[in-house]
Amino acid sequence: MTARCVTSSVVGSYPIVVPGSELMAQYFAGENVSWYPYIADAVGDMTEAGIEVVSDGQTRDPFIQLFTRRLGGCRVRARTEVVGPIVYRGGITVDDVQVVRRLVSPSTKIVGVLTGPFTLMKSCIDLFYHDERACCLGFAEALRQEAAALSWFVDEVSIDEPWFANELPAYAEEAIGVISEGSSCPMRLHVCGDVSRIVHRLVGMPVDVLSHEFKASPKLFDAYLQYPSEMGMCIGSVRSDDVRVESVEEVVAHLRRAEEVFGRRVVQVAPDCGQRMLPREVAFAKLRCLQQAKEVVYGG
Amino acid sequence: MFSFTKPQHAFELGGITFGGQPGEHPTVLFGGLFFKGAPEFKTASTHLAAMLKIGEETGMPVVPDLFIRKEDYIDPILSFLEQHMPEAHPFSVDIIEPSLKVKVLESLHDHDLLARTIYNSLHIGVTAPERETLKRCTPAMTLIVAFNPKDASPDGRIEVLENGAHLLDTGLLAVASSLGIDKILVDTAALAPGENSGAALASLPVVKEEYGLPVGCAIHNVVEKSKWLSRYSSVKATVDVASNAGIALFGGDFALFGPIEHAPVVVPLMAWFDMVVSEYAEAYFGVCPSERHPRRVFYP
Repeated sequence: MTARCVTSSVVGSYPIVVPGSELMAQYFAGENVSWYPYIADAVGDMTEAGIEVVSDGQTRDPFIQLFTRRLGGCRVRARTEVVGPIVYRGGITVDDVQVVRRLVSPSTKIVGVLTGPFTLMKSCIDLFYHDERACCLGFAEALRQEAAALSWFVDEVSIDEPWFANELPAYAEEAIGVISEGSSCPMRLHVCGDVSRIVHRLVGMPVDVLSHEFKASPKLFDAYLQYPSEMGMCIGSVRSDDVRVESVEEVVAHLRRAEEVFGRRVVQVAPDCGQRMLPREVAFAKLRCLQQAKEVVYGG
Repeated sequence: MFSFTKPQHAFELGGITFGGQPGEHPTVLFGGLFFKGAPEFKTASTHLAAMLKIGEETGMPVVPDLFIRKEDYIDPILSFLEQHMPEAHPFSVDIIEPSLKVKVLESLHDHDLLARTIYNSLHIGVTAPERETLKRCTPAMTLIVAFNPKDASPDGRIEVLENGAHLLDTGLLAVASSLGIDKILVDTAALAPGENSGAALASLPVVKEEYGLPVGCAIHNVVEKSKWLSRYSSVKATVDVASNAGIALFGGDFALFGPIEHAPVVVPLMAWFDMVVSEYAEAYFGVCPSERHPRRVFYP
């Protein structure tokens, strides 16, 4: 057993069903709709599974609208439209992570999750900038302020940039760097999908930890062998796109493979990606399996 | 003063027209019955007759909105309707509890009343049994309450109509379409906590321009629940009835104006505002009032 501080974490979203009928009951009663019970459900599952670095579960909204809804210059209809300069108007997820802080024990850590600026830009209809770089950097500047605000309440900030797997722009490092400037916390960059073609760029990103879906794409281990770096690694170890719950033995073998490739650079283990698309009981079983495997390899 | 570039739907039901350009058809006025306690049919028949009479006198279309809170009340209320309403005159059924909605729809089917029914309402709390029942027992028209718990702005209303704000598998317009209901009235959901009336009124022209559908709301609910207005109890009732004028001035097509006993005040009040709107709509936009518009009644 290798005894060192490797933590179990999550990437972001967790599958909590928010019943419209409950929300409408609050509407008809003239009450303010509260999302906190749903955040509590997500955090409750994570902590019950033993996860050591939890998120707010992103129960409020899909990961694009979660941010664009609260940014000036964005109009959320069927999709988000950028209709003016992107402006940070105050905390986006800050209230939710404060709720998490009240829910968990002092020893439980929190990761604040940001949707990356390139993914936000690519997911919106730009009716204002007509320039991908300018729009992306507009989002990055807003996210820098959110990261700074989150830093007071979280132990780590994670930038979720799935779009990098499809297209890594020349200004990717610049955009991520803008956000990193704002945070006094360790920064993690999560890029899911097959990133084997862009590992040489990823290892130079201005963050502390890289996170990938190593379970669905184990060939990433080989890709990383070609580009040694000092970057910390978060090892995706249970799939987020498959309802089959892995066995503990299977995940232990996966983590041992990660140890062979990265050695002491492994700092976190997590699901491959956000778990929003899984049934809740499956997501929970996978978290529990992840934690058990982590304890076998790295201790409790 | 509004006139819309989008072609405007005008739905006819039982001799009443809902929608069109501002100034074309008078505002349809829904008066609420049976909202408090057990149904009291003698008083209700008096109020209903008074509302129908003043509607006839002024040219204002009036519709009773029947609140049904218990299964035991379904048959007595439907019998009341059959006895006291002119044949073919439309009415709306206002039910909150999802399981009760199913029972009311089945009773309306059994009483052969669905062709006169305005369903109040479809919203993000729609349940699977409700959808199944609506397919079998399809009302002639439905209200869609465009309440978006994530976004109180006019864009939030558009979002919930388009994609259910990701709380449903589809948008509410698609839900209605899948049930075979083409005659749709969009309620812009005025019952927002914090006396957030502005967004409900501002949503009227936004939704109407986007879809060309008849729009309205129950703006009086905000007044009814206002705490600060309660300090001025002598004028609260005046503000309650007067609040409906905002609907006509913002281009709306219908008002759920509150208790039916307010009809003797609300109906002439709205006739006056409809005439004001019609005068200018005709002078500036060339929109002629319909045959039974109050402007033609009082200035033949």
